[in-house]
Amino acid sequence: MKFKNLLCIGLLSSTLFAQSQLMYTPEMTLNTGKSINLVHVQMHPYTNLKTYDMGTQHKGDQRLEPEEFYVMHKTIKTDLKDTLKPIVFTGKNEAKSYTSKYKAKKMGDHLFVMKPAPSFSEVEGIYLQMITKMFVNVAGKPTDWDKELGLEAEIIPLSKPYGIWAGSSFSGMVKASGIPVPFAHIEVELLNYDIDMENNKTTNMKTNAPQQSFKVIEFKANERGEFTFHIPKEGLWSFNAKGIGHNKKFKGRELSQDAVIWVQSKNIKEIEKLNKEKKETK
Amino acid sequence: MNLKERHKMKSFLITLIFTITAFAHTPIMSCMDEGDDTVTCEGGFSDGSSAGGVKFRVISNEKKVILDTKLNTESEVNFKKPEGEYSAVFDAGPQHEVYIKSKDIFE
Repeated sequence: MKFKNLLCIGLLSSTLFAQSQLMYTPEMTLNTGKSINLVHVQMHPYTNLKTYDMGTQHKGDQRLEPEEFYVMHKTIKTDLKDTLKPIVFTGKNEAKSYTSKYKAKKMGDHLFVMKPAPSFSEVEGIYLQMITKMFVNVAGKPTDWDKELGLEAEIIPLSKPYGIWAGSSFSGMVKASGIPVPFAHIEVELLNYDIDMENNKTTNMKTNAPQQSFKVIEFKANERGEFTFHIPKEGLWSFNAKGIGHNKKFKGRELSQDAVIWVQSKNIKEIEKLNKEKKETK
Repeated sequence: MNLKERHKMKSFLITLIFTITAFAHTPIMSCMDEGDDTVTCEGGFSDGSSAGGVKFRVISNEKKVILDTKLNTESEVNFKKPEGEYSAVFDAGPQHEVYIKSKDIFE
């Protein structure tokens, strides 16, 4: 009985470790400029097991606001921290999160970076800081998708993180403060729930994995920190390179600085179907 | 190779280079309602090259030309939002025109 309990705790813990920082907007590829909404949530993208208060501190210390939130466009950095609006997001449970608005007016890539404050994880007994990148491209002009920002923890795309057909692949390079991280441990998760941005909550689960290994897919980068992952299904995918940052302590406790990047893939058959429906309604 | 043949070869090479260039650059455009009764359109090419000086038109649904101008050095144009339905046209040459209808232009 004790062994069974221990096993259950072990399995639950490995699932709880697989957190990611969601930076969500429904569409990473826009045909023309428009204002977009984003939502920032610390959660488990596949299992939706738990949603966490962003910036929560050890033993009830005051919660910290995100350290940085900005966008890069044609190498110009624009601070967006003032656009963050605190919300309560409901996944499996309610948690303190943020929304923001942005006018994606100019053609090209808008590269968003969220650097949350380190957040204390009760399960792991350490602080987590998931430095997150997400892209919105307007009209298909390539400008910033491959830019390296020299972040403390960063995945630099070697292929575009959008405009990916499901069944194709995404390649990237893991770096910490500009230095490649050999054999970096990477966790990949599909955002397995729809996000209701009007009511700030998760809805409709998309797939049901047969076993833990399918919920959080793990692999390692090569000796140069590079990797390629074949994306099996349409949707938003989180790539999280764990514990790669050089800062290992926060407030005297262990800190894991992770690099998160979101990529979006589309199903070619679904788009063919949509185009056919459009033609029929004309 | 005589002079006539040389001229033919030169013409062929120029045509080839022009064709490669024409195929390599897909024209693209994005337009956004500024929320102040004006619209800004930005033109460009899929390889990231500038569209400064390229022709731009605004036409009504009845095919009346409301504005006939060129994109500025930033590859942009700002114009007063016409009344009624219209289309913004980025004209990078024959078969290289991009149309955006007013119903697809958002704030």
